[in-house]
Amino acid sequence: MSDTTLDSAGPARPGPLWRLGALAIAAAAMMILAPLFLDRFTVNVLTRSMIFAILAVTVDLLWGFTGILTFGQAAFFGAGAYATAMVLTHMGSGPGLMALGLLLSILVPVALAAAVGWLTFYPGSSDFYATVISLVVPIVVTQLIYSGGTWTGSSSGLVGYFGLDLSLGGFFRLAGLCLVAVVFAALVFVRSDAGRVLTAIRNNETRCAYLGINTQAVKIALTTVLAGVTGIAGFLYANASGVVAPENTGFVFGTQLVVWTALGGRGTIIGPALGAVAIDYLSAQLSGQLPFLWQLVVGLMFVVMIIFMPNGLAALVTGWRRVRKGPAAAAPALVPIARRARGPASDAPLLQIERLEKAYGSHKVLEDITLTVRPGELVSLVGPNGAGKTTLMRCMTDGQAASGGTVRVNGESITGLVPNRIVARGIGRKFQVASVFESLTVAECLRMARAAHERPSFTRRRDTLALPQPAIEILRLTGLDRQLGAEVSLLSHGQKQSLELAMVVALEPALILLDEPTAGLTKAERTTIGTVLQTLTSELGLAAILVEHDLDFVRDISSRIVVLHQGRLVLDGTVEEVVNDDIVKRIYSGGDHG
Amino acid sequence: MTLILDILTTAAILFVIATGLLTIFGVLKIINFAHGAWLTIGAYCAVAVGQLGWSPWLAFPVAFVVGAVLGGLTERFIVRPLYARPLDAILATWGLGIVVGQLITLGFGRDVQFTAPLLPGTADILGTSYSIYRLFALGAAIVIGLGFSWLMEGTRLGLSARAVIMNEALAHVLGLDTRRIRWVTFMIGCGLAGLAGVLLTPLTSVDPNMGLAWLVGSFMLVMVAGQSFAALALACLLLGGAQVLVSTFLSPILGGITVAVLAAIILRISPKGFSRV
Repeated sequence: MSDTTLDSAGPARPGPLWRLGALAIAAAAMMILAPLFLDRFTVNVLTRSMIFAILAVTVDLLWGFTGILTFGQAAFFGAGAYATAMVLTHMGSGPGLMALGLLLSILVPVALAAAVGWLTFYPGSSDFYATVISLVVPIVVTQLIYSGGTWTGSSSGLVGYFGLDLSLGGFFRLAGLCLVAVVFAALVFVRSDAGRVLTAIRNNETRCAYLGINTQAVKIALTTVLAGVTGIAGFLYANASGVVAPENTGFVFGTQLVVWTALGGRGTIIGPALGAVAIDYLSAQLSGQLPFLWQLVVGLMFVVMIIFMPNGLAALVTGWRRVRKGPAAAAPALVPIARRARGPASDAPLLQIERLEKAYGSHKVLEDITLTVRPGELVSLVGPNGAGKTTLMRCMTDGQAASGGTVRVNGESITGLVPNRIVARGIGRKFQVASVFESLTVAECLRMARAAHERPSFTRRRDTLALPQPAIEILRLTGLDRQLGAEVSLLSHGQKQSLELAMVVALEPALILLDEPTAGLTKAERTTIGTVLQTLTSELGLAAILVEHDLDFVRDISSRIVVLHQGRLVLDGTVEEVVNDDIVKRIYSGGDHG
Repeated sequence: MTLILDILTTAAILFVIATGLLTIFGVLKIINFAHGAWLTIGAYCAVAVGQLGWSPWLAFPVAFVVGAVLGGLTERFIVRPLYARPLDAILATWGLGIVVGQLITLGFGRDVQFTAPLLPGTADILGTSYSIYRLFALGAAIVIGLGFSWLMEGTRLGLSARAVIMNEALAHVLGLDTRRIRWVTFMIGCGLAGLAGVLLTPLTSVDPNMGLAWLVGSFMLVMVAGQSFAALALACLLLGGAQVLVSTFLSPILGGITVAVLAAIILRISPKGFSRV
């Protein structure tokens, strides 16, 4: 999904943790003092608004950062609120039962979200499907509550139970402190190395998968954890308001959360929190005097904002900051890491393709492909447009792509495996069009390539970047090592190609697949990439398969050439054999189209 | 017999309501979340026609024209900038739905409105007496379905629209004015939503939020149907049928979520839904 307009989103600059902490403490102090200065009505309304603001922060993490548009947070919130209210109504309200209510208000949404996440995020699922499910869940939960009879209070909800024994001001402080804690934790998380994975998924989920990151698992985990947070908000709401109603779980409330998040500024955490508080508070203030007009104004603002300012009001602030500070973030220092020792090489060849076939209906794109690649080889795959070269690459990296035959890596078949599992077996793939993360920095992109090897930190941003020596070499040769802090969208076409190559090499693959790595590059850039590839294969023992149109380039660097024509492998031999072959001459002079 | 007629007419009503949404989704690849608001607009056109003392049948052309004109404006100013951001288009049209709902509330008040019944009474079918109006809805669905197949298969606009559905970039290169095709398609889709709104008036109460209940159902049906009207008809028949059966034999409340739950399951098993039908 293209979202270039969101490039300015994201926690732009790394702020020292202590400064954030100091701000959080100041905010917490304000929350504790505020009830002394506010009237009853305001305290009451703001308590509710701040609970809703917690929900807006979770929507922002899912939608603003990860790109999952969800209306389902209302269902998890409602499930948590109802879990609490049902315990308090039907079982009573001692401290033990209150603890049970809190526990259930977390566990019920978490269990629900785990099931929903499993249903929603499967390999190949679409963005629309996640949105569809996020609509279904609140509807189902609401209907279950309607049909729950006295258990759930049906359409009138539950009321008249005894919640936490706190004053109005006490609830205000509790809600406020929870909000501050959630915002603080969210900000620390999104600025950490692990938090940047969310932005990477939003930018380019395919690339994430081909870096060995299990994006489905990340999304399921995020949905589940945030459902727990949402459930706690539900617990607070059930106690503070003293009433839960089916509307609290409905998808209309879910859309409201999205509206607040959008108006506040998606991808900023603070924006949605402030947006939720401000709009909900103003709604309460104005709904007495001009109820419909106010809703109308909110609706209009929302439409205008989505069209013209997709990053919300917060974009005004961050945009200004960006101009003042300049875009470059602090760059980490490069540290070489020792080469990962691979397990004892099996006797089986690194890559073994047998009678591979790919068909769309009755149309065969690939037929009877048999090919073996051993460590240290640099195999070039040539052939005219439409010969099936890119399809063959895909069949080697996606176990669900082929329609017949087998692909074995180190003797084990990859049939049925998803790309991130195949990457884990030592295959790295560079795409034809540079596939990188536009709104991350160069260093962050490279860190993503290492994310499957070393778990990124959830709390901080490392100031070193550990990469295998060959990847550092590529960065040096292409000058990218001096631009580690630059945002990728500012790089040239050639630099993006080099960056992607460095990312793939950073995976430490045993076999590297490159789809036209030199297309559109200058002569100098080509030579650099050629040198790098030769070093990787002849000195470090990697194998490489290269799809290439430039025959001179192929002749210079390959150890073997494979010719593909109309979905069949017509020739497999040394450079000399292939270049002098009659068939190849005919194919390339266009005489063989009969 | 009543059960069979219930299933058929429920499917027909779902079909009529979802057609406008499918038209837009098929060609523009955009989910029009203001669809519910357009149903409401259509229904209020019927109310307005009634208040003016015109023949209730006039509500159909009026609602189509009003829906199409407003749809044309919507496409131009709201949807067009968002073709590259389909999820944002969902949100912008949802916001528009809020605006429309509030405008209607300001104009007509938030109370439930009633319209004159178009076709009161019942008819005898093989010994069962059944609401004439629901039978009329069935007829209307068949007419709209056939009309659309003719439009898509037999006219130049349909040919262009199919070209855009299959390969928009190519259609554009071949000299088709894809921008205009989108615009016209959006207008037709919105006009149809208006028609469907009128059709609903005798069956449900008319209030500013009436479209909402139908929006999610038709959205689900369209997701299952993909881009084909035949698939939509099948989806309406199967899911609508399941809804009637669940409502009759289990509980009306569970019946209300049947379509949504089944659609979600179908899409999980077969992400393309019925689109290959």
